[in-house]
Amino acid sequence: MIYLDYAATTPLDPQVRAAMLPWLETDAGFGNPASDHALGRRARKAVEAARAQVAALLGASAEEIIWTSGATESNNLAIKGALEFRGRANAHVISSRIEHKSVLDTLRYLETQGLRVTYLTPAASGVIEPEQVRAALRPDTALVSLMWVNNETGAINPVLELASELRARGVLVHIDAVQAAGKIAVDLAQLPADLLSVSAHKLYGPKGIGALFVRKRPRARLSPQIHGGGHEQGMRSGTLATHQIVGFGAACALAAAQLGEEGDRIRALRERLQRQLQSALPEVLLNAPAAADARAPGILNLSFTGVEGESLRAMLPELMVSSGSACSSATREPSYVLRALGRSDELAGASLRLSLGRYTTAGQVDAAATQIIAAVQFLRELSPQGSGAGTAEPLLKDNVYEYPAPAWQRFAHLKHDGRLPEDAEVLTAEADSAAARSLLRLQLRVHGRQVRETRFQAYGCPIAIAVGEYLAERLEADGLDALGAISAAVLRDALEISEDKAHCALMGEDVLRALLQKTGGKT
Amino acid sequence: MPVYLDHNASTPLDARVLEAMLPYLSGPYANASSLHRYGRAARDGVEQARAQLAALIGCQPQEIIWTSGGTEANNLALKGVTELATPSRVLYGATEHPSVMEAAESLHARGWGVEAIAVDAQGLLDWPRFEAQLQRAPLRLVSLMRANNETGVIQDIERAAALVHAQQAWLHVDAVQTAGKLPLDFANLGADLLSVSSHKIYGPKGVGALVVNAQVELSPLLHGGAQERGLRGGTENVAAIVGFGAAAQLAGEALAGRSARLLALRGQLEAGLRELPGVTIFAEHSARLPNTLQFALDGYDGEALLMQLDRKGFAVSSGSACASGKGEPSHVLLAMGFARELAKGAIRVSLGKDNQPEEVSRFIEALRSFKPRAGAPP
Repeated sequence: MIYLDYAATTPLDPQVRAAMLPWLETDAGFGNPASDHALGRRARKAVEAARAQVAALLGASAEEIIWTSGATESNNLAIKGALEFRGRANAHVISSRIEHKSVLDTLRYLETQGLRVTYLTPAASGVIEPEQVRAALRPDTALVSLMWVNNETGAINPVLELASELRARGVLVHIDAVQAAGKIAVDLAQLPADLLSVSAHKLYGPKGIGALFVRKRPRARLSPQIHGGGHEQGMRSGTLATHQIVGFGAACALAAAQLGEEGDRIRALRERLQRQLQSALPEVLLNAPAAADARAPGILNLSFTGVEGESLRAMLPELMVSSGSACSSATREPSYVLRALGRSDELAGASLRLSLGRYTTAGQVDAAATQIIAAVQFLRELSPQGSGAGTAEPLLKDNVYEYPAPAWQRFAHLKHDGRLPEDAEVLTAEADSAAARSLLRLQLRVHGRQVRETRFQAYGCPIAIAVGEYLAERLEADGLDALGAISAAVLRDALEISEDKAHCALMGEDVLRALLQKTGGKT
Repeated sequence: MPVYLDHNASTPLDARVLEAMLPYLSGPYANASSLHRYGRAARDGVEQARAQLAALIGCQPQEIIWTSGGTEANNLALKGVTELATPSRVLYGATEHPSVMEAAESLHARGWGVEAIAVDAQGLLDWPRFEAQLQRAPLRLVSLMRANNETGVIQDIERAAALVHAQQAWLHVDAVQTAGKLPLDFANLGADLLSVSSHKIYGPKGVGALVVNAQVELSPLLHGGAQERGLRGGTENVAAIVGFGAAAQLAGEALAGRSARLLALRGQLEAGLRELPGVTIFAEHSARLPNTLQFALDGYDGEALLMQLDRKGFAVSSGSACASGKGEPSHVLLAMGFARELAKGAIRVSLGKDNQPEEVSRFIEALRSFKPRAGAPP
């Protein structure tokens, strides 16, 4: 297995884990940091030491760090808390279409309460230009909320340039720095943002803990979103989870110590991966600014033209990556970030976000490139647009995404893929499924009532491909009689096709009907 | 290592809980929402924990929403039930935890009528007044704790539920101090929403849950992502959730035996205290949690007493850890009608599974050794 999903979450660094464990073991670490006794004081001291570590990574002071349960809460607290404190439910906010869900969902909710929001659309490179923000400013603009580094593309937004200008205008600036902290230099002494969200589990710390930087001078004020005993200067109540906070602190200290060196190493690995993929495969599109330093070191997002995203993912069971495609074509929802960059639904679906990190090696990068290249070449050949010449079949062992067994067995062991030369004995038919944008082409070499040879090509999800293989197999075995005997219902039964993939079975039925017409209905 | 008598503030992690958590702090480290293999391993851990917690509190697994703790669960309940409703009224018990009181009071700003429900000197709801309050429609939500964190007083939730439901209102129950100490049966309690917390039952800090029955329309407190059926965004705190599940299972297995043992220990404590001059045991005539006892000694300054106990190696508190360090007398005792002076002297002892009779004896002895404040009656 190769883990290239560091932008989703990172493993806990062993040193971080070692720092956390004393606070989980039963002897002396379990006191409630709010308690007024020896165990409470001990925990409180550790919490404050961690606060200083997080502050140091960000160039902030310790009293500017408010603990939260994670970046989602940080983003919620920043936006709702700032607007609530200002009592400006109807104010105007500038954000972008490529923010994290926790920002977008929060803004959409506030819109139902009267907030007005301008969502900026990034350039094709994924960057929000400062000029766009300036142009969107209105007299009642209260807040600008933008991410520093996009979690899907890695594109770095020019936030430095904007923040001072916005502050001068009295507009509050919130930066979602979840993908920036510990990856690129963050110095809040230089960047005059008012609010900045960070998360521990993106930088080798534990899950369940994050922080919101709230500037002291000039003071950014917030209304709490979680009320209670008045912890965290009244901005966020609830018992502090000592072990998680200690882990976050340790993770920040480690990140600060190796920031530049690690960044260079990871950037070089990313460049290596990109170079290998783009030199072996034509038409691989980069979803980010081309310049290496305009992107966070660890993120590479590529769209592969001519392949279907779900099949691409299914052919890479050994790679743990994020893909732009959802698992059900019925609820197919390609990445909204890539669509905002102007990618079509299809291309957005055929994208991989490869995110590298602390434990990524050159060997892993090379192996990942080999697997991706093989899968893309194979699927491009398998497509009706391909030559059908065939390439070496990629190694497919595990049905990671749990396709029905009869469908998976065929998808993983194709025997009838390819193309027959067009001659008098060869019947060819095609069918498509507009809903899923899939395409199936089936060819038979017919001699009398006998089918001597069958071949298919398909562009679509694994189920669509399995349908092609199944039809080729049945027609070869049963001859032309099978043409009338196989319906969509038969296909759904045979391959255990679920409701949301029913369109694949219909496409199979359509291609049989087309063949039936070509045989003049004489089955 | 001090004698720890503050288990209502937080409990030590059970070694077996840590054992269950460790694989998630080193092995399958992925995001539980990722689709690939590690993501699935994390998801399995989260779902197993959901079943374990459901078994402890007698609810359906799908009724559980993970939160960052009891405070968030209480906030989610009060704000989530009122968010999209036409403002009417919310009632809460006068002895509720600060997270319920303050979350309720924050609803004022949104146009809600917010009222406290009075309690009597024994910490029990003042039923005639409560019933009168309930009559004044419209009413949306009532929030009551099953057992009080300071006095340990147990409220008759079943009785309250019938009254609340007769008004077509929802009942939220803060069961943070009840889970693992008394049997809980969400299906039959009558609560529509119920809050629990992991670190009060020998699980890790940083995780809790709100149990919500399917009839309740709830709005999220934290927006973003589809986690927890869209009701609580954010990457799941997998290791902590797994720990909470393990702690819930262990608590369920140990419940009956542990309660009996704690009750005996508390009996020993209470008997010892009664031999001291001028002792007040709060809510002494009410049904209380087996592990909790709050008292005051006449002629002793509470804060000074706490400091002396701390120095002698006893970890106790005056009341809620969440309200500590503010020098304010317990709002719980004030609501029960005690004078500020007496309330300021309150000491809460909350026993835990590892406390020994010998520790209780030493605690009594320590108290006996302290001198009363000059000028106070002996």
